[in-house]
Parts: sequence; structure tokens; C-alpha cells
Amino acid sequence: MSSRKRRRSIFDLISDYVEEMESLADDLLSVERPSWDVRASTIQPLCNVSVAQDEVVVTADLPFSDPDSIKIELSDERTLEISAKIRRRVCCEDLGIIHQRGEFSTFNCQTRIPVAVDMKRRTKRFKKGILEVRLPRKKGYEIKVE
Amino acid sequence: MLVPINFVEKKPIPSGATMLCGFPDVGLVGVLASSYVISELALDELAYVDSDLLPPVVVLHKGLPHSPMRVFGNSSLLVTIAETAIPARGIQRLMRSFMEWVKSKNTKMIVPIGGIPVQNRQDIEKPEVFGTASSVDMIRFLEQHKLDVLREGYMVGPQALIMRYCAEDNLPAVALLAQSFYNYPDPEAAAAALRQFSTITGVKIDVAKLVEKGEEIRLRARDMMKRTQQELTKMNKGQESDLPLYI
Repeated sequence: MSSRKRRRSIFDLISDYVEEMESLADDLLSVERPSWDVRASTIQPLCNVSVAQDEVVVTADLPFSDPDSIKIELSDERTLEISAKIRRRVCCEDLGIIHQRGEFSTFNCQTRIPVAVDMKRRTKRFKKGILEVRLPRKKGYEIKVE
Repeated sequence: MLVPINFVEKKPIPSGATMLCGFPDVGLVGVLASSYVISELALDELAYVDSDLLPPVVVLHKGLPHSPMRVFGNSSLLVTIAETAIPARGIQRLMRSFMEWVKSKNTKMIVPIGGIPVQNRQDIEKPEVFGTASSVDMIRFLEQHKLDVLREGYMVGPQALIMRYCAEDNLPAVALLAQSFYNYPDPEAAAAALRQFSTITGVKIDVAKLVEKGEEIRLRARDMMKRTQQELTKMNKGQESDLPLYI
């Protein structure tokens, strides 16, 4: 296999840029969306992404979740979806929501991974109700210093 | 024109009381601690802050609107709590006014409670609590209680400003900072900080329920944590992890 990589076209770069802007807009707008959805019976957990030299670490706070039900999927090349079943009955009132009725059965969140990762080599652990997913970064090509 | 900041006193404020301060910060440690003490000791609302520097928010409790920043207390203890993230743009004026008001009440000691984020928090069973002090005498006070003192580094946010203004005004203050998650609500850290608060002040607080209800609290505190994190970013909270430069 050749180590040389194809140069990316201007259209690829623009597409990446637009995607980045859309993601940023989503992040900003998501603040004003409720962190819960009665119709989908889901609660959006707090989630964090940190990029290190060799890996991306994604964590999510999943209190009351059933560890065996946790699912981690890449919904596209750069978006990680985390879901988990809630192990006890949580209704709107439990969260202080009085003006609406309903129950929540699942945690669900999607988070953007800012760099390319190797999903096949991912590792996860669940401790203190917090999920930690480690995703090794895909290596690019090396620029030789002469 | 400066935006006015008024401290509206609903009941007489006791003189010579200890003041616990819990403002939104990493892990919501201070807010969780304050909220728990108010509920556990059934403290009365004594005063509230009225200012346009606070967000256009009222907090509804038992059907009634309240200011998001209030002071509760009894004859010997005052507890300040902010139930919404304090906007970064107004925090210095708000905290300075707050400290002027606290000073006018001849407070015995001011104890801001907060978190100190650690990367391996998940692996820590019992969060350690560190202290900072407003004067050499207060450092000795912490040492007498066998608390590790943060001797070098940076503090950023509401706790930092309280400590700075207390040092300037020669008010006795110690900040209690528990190892915590940065952006996840951390009731265990709040419990650890409250245990130390009890030790140094003699105020008895049983933190068992705070730990027991940990998961429930984390579920309910997500939105406040998210908004707090946004304000902390604006305050450059990350500077707390910077290496101090002393040559």
C-alpha cells in the first residue's frame, strides 16, 4: 500500500468547513433545547470530549443507567452516539418538570469527534455512573524534517 | 451608568455569624453544599440580591418567584447560594458588592466552598479537600485543622474573587476546595467539603443523605452544570490548571 495520500480538493475542504460550522451552530442551539424529550422518552446526559495526542476520550454522566444496556455507535464518520437504559422509573415530576407529563427510559446523546479515530480499537469502562470511551486516533502521514 | 446591586434584607441578619458561600463552579460543588445545608438545617431566607447584573431569571419555589441569589441563615450561620450560573461579565462587580455587604454584617469567618478539578476523579473514592486562606493567620488556622493548603497556583471564578476581596479588606476567609469532576455535578465532592466545613467551624452537618441521593442530584443538576460550564469558559477557568510562574 502506498504511503502517499491523495490531496484533498477544495470542495472537500469547503464541505468540512460547512460541516464544522453546522456542528458549532448545533452546539450553540442545543443549549436552548431542553435536555429531555418526552416524546422520545429520552434524557440527554452531560457529555465531554477531550483530544489527547494518541486518543480521544469521550465521557458521559449516566446516573441510574443500566451498564449492560450501554451502546456506543458511530452514526457517521465523526459523530459518536451514546445510549443507555435508565434502570428505574424517572418521570417528569422527578426532574422538577410540572407542566408536562411523561416518563423517561433512555439516555441518548450524540457528540462530534473532532479528529479521525479508529472505532474498532475503542475501549470503554463504566465507573461511578460515568461512561468513559477511549478512541485511538488514526494516524496521518508523517512530514519528514530534513 | 453603573447597574445597581441591592441586598434586600427580609429578616434581621445576625452579627458575627459564619458565612458559607456556594456559587456555581466546577462540579457545582459549592451550590450542592449550600443547597444541602439550607435544606438539612431548615434555614430561613434572610436576604436576596436584586440586580440587573443577574440573568433575567426567577427561581420558583412552592409557586413563588425568588431571586436566583439569596442568603439563608439562623442565629450563627449564614449560607449564600446562587441558583443560576453567574454571568462572567458582571461577576466582579457582583462579588465586590457582595463582600461589602458581608463586611457590614461583621461576619466571623467567610467560607467559600468549591471544587478543584482532577482528571482521575473517577478513580478517587474519597475526594481530598484543600484550603486557601485570606491571611497568614488563616493559613495557620487551616494547618491547625490539618488541611492541606494550596500554596501556589491560580484560582478563577466566584471563589477566587471572594478570597481576593477578603484579603484586601482583611476579612477572615478560608476556601474549601474538594477534588471534583470539572463538568459533572459532584455530590461526593460537596459532601467531602462539608465534612471539612463541619470540622473547622463546629457546625454539625450529617452528609449521609447528600451521598445517598447522589445519582438523583446528578440527574437533576445537568442543566445548571451545562450553563455554569459556559460561564466558566468565559472566565478562562482553565487557567487554574496553568503552571504558576515563580522564579
